[in-house]
Amino acid sequence: MIHRIIKQIQRYKGWVGAGAAVCLLTGTYLGLIASPPDYYQGEVVRIMYVHVPLAHTALLAYTVVFAGSIWYLWKRDRLIDNMCHAAAGLGFLFTGLALITGSIWAKPTWNTWWTWDPRLVSFAILFLILAGYLMLRTFLTEDPDRESRYAAVLAIVGFIDLPIIHFSVEWWRTLHQPLSISTRGVSISGELLLPLTIMSIGFHLLFAYMLMVRTQLLYLDELLQAKKGRLLTQMHLSRSQTSP
Amino acid sequence: MSFIKAIRWMVWKDLITEMRSRETLVSMLFFALIVILVFSFSFSMDHQAARELLAGIIWVAFAFTGIIGLGKSFLAELHNDCLEYLQMSPAPKGAIYLGKMTANFLFMLLAEVVLFPLFIIFFNLDVVEEIWILLVVFLLATEGLAAVGTLFSALTVQIRAREVMLPVLLLPMVIPVMIAAVESTRGALNGEPFALYSQWFHLLGVFDLIFTVVSYWLFELILDT
Amino acid sequence: MIALSIVQLSKTYGHYRVLDQLSLDIPSRHCFALFGPNGAGKTTLMRILATLTRPSSGQFRIWGYDGVTEKARVRQLVMYLAHGTHLYDDLNAIENLRFCLALRGIIPSDSQIKRALDRVQIGPFGHMQTRYFSAGMKKRLGLAKAILARPKVLLLDEPYTSLDERGIAIMNAFIQETIQREGAVLMTTHDREHTRQVANHMGILHSGVLRTFPPHELSTYVVY
Repeated sequence: MIHRIIKQIQRYKGWVGAGAAVCLLTGTYLGLIASPPDYYQGEVVRIMYVHVPLAHTALLAYTVVFAGSIWYLWKRDRLIDNMCHAAAGLGFLFTGLALITGSIWAKPTWNTWWTWDPRLVSFAILFLILAGYLMLRTFLTEDPDRESRYAAVLAIVGFIDLPIIHFSVEWWRTLHQPLSISTRGVSISGELLLPLTIMSIGFHLLFAYMLMVRTQLLYLDELLQAKKGRLLTQMHLSRSQTSP
Repeated sequence: MSFIKAIRWMVWKDLITEMRSRETLVSMLFFALIVILVFSFSFSMDHQAARELLAGIIWVAFAFTGIIGLGKSFLAELHNDCLEYLQMSPAPKGAIYLGKMTANFLFMLLAEVVLFPLFIIFFNLDVVEEIWILLVVFLLATEGLAAVGTLFSALTVQIRAREVMLPVLLLPMVIPVMIAAVESTRGALNGEPFALYSQWFHLLGVFDLIFTVVSYWLFELILDT
Repeated sequence: MIALSIVQLSKTYGHYRVLDQLSLDIPSRHCFALFGPNGAGKTTLMRILATLTRPSSGQFRIWGYDGVTEKARVRQLVMYLAHGTHLYDDLNAIENLRFCLALRGIIPSDSQIKRALDRVQIGPFGHMQTRYFSAGMKKRLGLAKAILARPKVLLLDEPYTSLDERGIAIMNAFIQETIQREGAVLMTTHDREHTRQVANHMGILHSGVLRTFPPHELSTYVVY
């Protein structure tokens, strides 16, 4: 009784992966070679082609965790819970990479590894929330039902909190430092827009592909453990029946 | 079973238990004292610039002290499997949440009210005109911490490494409360006109409303199958 | 009238199957005694019936109410005296009773409480904090709770442990009283002698599988 969605994942994941590869390769070529360097920022702006899509995809991942958590609490479908777990792990990865690429961009541009820009801070907090989510799941593996429920509760609280966190950090920064330097100040000229869009689509597809693969892995692993358990229980039963 | 009565019984039980054992409040107060002392040694507190940090130090002390209280709140229920009894009782889980939250709120507020005079004394603060504003900040911020903290305390009490997981999970979530509390406290302590920092009160009010409702809804999922 | 109806109940923890397609009907005015070696799944079954965990599959009904979808009603009807005493160490016996019963919507009068405590013979200790109670006294206090709550379905997890002969007699008297009141009792136990006095039906749970038998065949089946 393999879930019908797993069958579809098996069929389509190759296509999604290929699509991701195509977009990412095209976008990288366009971004690194074909497009001109920025007037103000020089070659460094090229990292934006990776940083911005990573950030968007991280937020997409978290939205998936949130929506999946609500869906799971409603339908209690194991596959949806596996998807939440997979999406959270991917979100953690993408958020971390977004922070690192943001930092790499910040150093030559503003001569600082870290700036208390509201969006960067919000991402750092998102990183911590996702870390907490993954830690929670790790500490509850003995009780899968509780693990899924508690993780879903955490995801929901965190998602509702994110915009509030972002606003409060933004207000806080406007108080203590005028927003003279901000990622929003970067104007996107037309030539930069095309590679950026293609990279964004590419990263979204990459996320979708990795999500499909990882969800499938987690789901099949659960099935395997259950099957193993059934076999072990049967062996134990037959052995105890033959003994006096 | 009346909803309000269930809340009152939960609060009564927590208050009586605390009055007799005094375990939670004493731990909270001594922990806070240590935090204040450590901060005083870490930053040379006579320095004028250190006054800028004072609001932050106050709220860091309150937050960590509050977490100690929140952690103990559900730890007490694990003894003798009392949590199990709450789980299987016909009383509405929302009432259990509100009862626990109210008790936590009262304990945290009590600790803050006892500690703040110490801050006044150690750092020679002049707060007579702003005392009511500060009290409102304490009330709003503590409510926010208690609302989310009670939910997370129930969540973490049954898992491994619970003492670590509660602050790890809770602190990122209550960053808006911390920012708002620190900014309003700083504004009040510096004698700034209220209009300059009233926005933070709105933020606290919105946070409290949203997260009390959200935690109230979600609590059932923690304590029930 | 079937007080407790269990249909194909199964429970798996991770990969270990604790209960396997268990079915059982307990009519009202009946006491069912459940035997079984340690680790057989008896407590898991009780916890499911007390709505503390969900079954992995199957269903159960208590007085017609579904145990998973109509939990609130079931919880009002069922009382589970478990291994844990559900007592707050800093409260005294009377306060513990008041709190536990209040959560069930019951506010007993002072005289009712006194009578219940006297019946279980811990009357003089009403104002003592339960942290100073012995295991047997805590068990008797739990019984007093049930006496005041008068549940329609009583779930007892090894009710005789820690009790002396007098205490066991009080427990059995209350079980019989519950049965006469149109209630039903399900108890897990290892004690054959005292169970024989109250149970009208028995079963043994082994590796998640249940086999029932009438009381006079107790010695044949329960040989672990």
